[in-house]
Amino acid sequence: MNGIVSIFNYRRTLAIACAALSTGLGALGPVSIAAAQTKTLTEWDSQTVGAGPKIINDAAARFEKANPGFKVESSHVLNDAYKTKLKIAFGANQPPCVFSSWGGGPLREYVKSNQVVDLTPYLQQNPSFQSRFLDTAWPAATFDNKVWAIPAENTSVAVVFYNKEIFDKYKLTPPKTWDELLHVISVLKANNIAPFALANKNKWTGSMYYMYLVDRIGGSDVVRRAVMRAPGGSFADPAFVEAGTRLQELVKAGAFAQGFNGLDYDIGASRRLLYSGRAAMELIGSWEASTVKAENPAFYSKLDYFPFPTVPGGKGNPNDVIGTVGDNFYSISKACPDPQAAFKLIESMTDDQSMRERVADTRIPPVKNLEVSDPMLKRFLKTVSDAPAVQLWYDQELPPALGELHKNTTQALFGLTMTPQEAAQQMEAEAKKDLN
Amino acid sequence: MSFIKLPMVLMPKRSRLGRPSALVSATFLAPAIALLGLFLLYPLISSFRLSTLDWNGLGATERFIGAQNWIHLAHDPAFFKAVRNNLILAVFSVLIQMPIALTLAVMLDKAGRGSRTLKILYFLPLLMSSVAIGVVFKNVYDPNFGPLNAALNALGFGNLAQDWLGDGRFALGATLAVICWQNIPFYMILFMAGLSSLSPELREAARLDGASPWRIFWHIELPHLQGTLRTGVLLAVIGSLRYFDLIFVMTGGGPDGASELMATYMYRTVFSSFQLGYGSTIASAMFLIVLVVASVTLTLTRRFETQI
Repeated sequence: MNGIVSIFNYRRTLAIACAALSTGLGALGPVSIAAAQTKTLTEWDSQTVGAGPKIINDAAARFEKANPGFKVESSHVLNDAYKTKLKIAFGANQPPCVFSSWGGGPLREYVKSNQVVDLTPYLQQNPSFQSRFLDTAWPAATFDNKVWAIPAENTSVAVVFYNKEIFDKYKLTPPKTWDELLHVISVLKANNIAPFALANKNKWTGSMYYMYLVDRIGGSDVVRRAVMRAPGGSFADPAFVEAGTRLQELVKAGAFAQGFNGLDYDIGASRRLLYSGRAAMELIGSWEASTVKAENPAFYSKLDYFPFPTVPGGKGNPNDVIGTVGDNFYSISKACPDPQAAFKLIESMTDDQSMRERVADTRIPPVKNLEVSDPMLKRFLKTVSDAPAVQLWYDQELPPALGELHKNTTQALFGLTMTPQEAAQQMEAEAKKDLN
Repeated sequence: MSFIKLPMVLMPKRSRLGRPSALVSATFLAPAIALLGLFLLYPLISSFRLSTLDWNGLGATERFIGAQNWIHLAHDPAFFKAVRNNLILAVFSVLIQMPIALTLAVMLDKAGRGSRTLKILYFLPLLMSSVAIGVVFKNVYDPNFGPLNAALNALGFGNLAQDWLGDGRFALGATLAVICWQNIPFYMILFMAGLSSLSPELREAARLDGASPWRIFWHIELPHLQGTLRTGVLLAVIGSLRYFDLIFVMTGGGPDGASELMATYMYRTVFSSFQLGYGSTIASAMFLIVLVVASVTLTLTRRFETQI
């Protein structure tokens, strides 16, 4: 098969290349003529579900109406395909005018290669625009004291979802401390229920446990110092090692449903465990609530959540959360012929009307004074606004190579194929290379 | 195939006009050469060039670092693990797929027209998209809900029920089984085509001489197929060394690199870690490895060569 398939692929590639060439040539005519009359702004994002694409399209229409002579061409592309598409477009020096990202490390790569417009002057001209957003939303988009992206879409924080029915049945209460958590685990185990559902083929899922453990043990500062390469900051810090040890303690206690390192989150393998009652809890991003609501409304009524427990002797504030405030930030590329207009487009995409529409789409956009009616959303909002620190997911925060290594070492920790010391040392060795 | 003479009609006749002019040859070859140059040679050379850079693939930030990527590669345990997995995949692909495909081909060939439904059934896996197959088998292997472990438990082999994709000891084997399942039909068709070119007289003559079916297989059918078998082995080896899709879909190379292949490692390096230079080094090394292994296999199997 391999031979045949490769021949087919080769042919298909050729066909696609030819088609692309011909449409490209064909398209040149009309576009260049049109450009004389109207200016086109390209906009790419990864909004593909719910009202996501419509909110952007409507905002673009408002922008076009307010700014005659401009036309917005939007593309909404699914998550992983979007990341690849964006990277190739930047690599080929043909990026879109306005593009979305998750902030953090990958955005920093584009900034480092001098392809992103510094938005600080735009914000300084318009302080009332900037002050609408939550303060915790900006760090993920700020490097070298300059703002490179505008937070827009959502707030997602990792929390422990649990099945209220199971907890009631075994007279369990949401654990606040490590020992209480171990007690919950042992009771559930004794009753043949897997404590945590985890689909760790994807690696970022298991990473959430590690990130929370680091925060609860070492506080929110330990990662920041390791990333900034501040004096004494290191990924080999005892907090990282202890996080690995605690994580393996959970694995050895049988805290995770069978097969966790091979289950695929993208095909719903972890939620299936929750729905069937074979697992009682899942540590995952708050978006899971709306996914469950859409997928299994009956189960949604049994769903509740609690924050990640504390660890004995830990320095972390129990109100700290891991996640992202902003979850899709909009930036302008240097290739954009009219950044001034592009910024107006972003303003339109983050105006009050679009934010209201996002709330209606069961999301928490990163702005102050939101009116939210959904009870679970309300609680998320409180969890986030009470949080003294919001730590961005490591795989977004760190430079891509280091983020990738973090995910690999964490999966190995879960598989008990690597010691916490080894994992921490590998991270520190890579950090020395990448963070300078 | 030494003992079957090709009929003369099939032999190319010499043109009356003698050798075609260089211009004519060049004209006919030009499109193929241009396409090969554009889509094969150019990418090949440029990935070797990229392998000397430290570059995230964005903007003018590349830095020439000479052979550093190659030196790193030579000390990268993750890469060697991937190479080892690729070799395991190649060896077992040949050992598992060839005999099964051959058996199926011989049986279907014997069954003649009556086996059409079976032929179609056996052929089906090849027609499915790898991603769809990957998702289906992820569910089959699921240790909590999958039918495989459920069947093992029901049949009293509960101790054989494993965490197929999540346990580093089984992940590669479990995906290998699916890869074989998907690819066997291709070789089956290949061998069936080979068998159909065996002239029926030979088999009939052998039967009249009292040869058992077993003997016919060993002394007539198998020797007739040796060229096709060689092609099959070659395709399986090369295909395994470049393999990507089912592994990527089913395990993503995990857990902890247990099922990582060169191609999945390259993909992750370029697209997740933003290391285009190092990723190109992996790609170039992969090219060299495939080249060497393919040449060695070709040389070692030269005695099975047949003219077609």
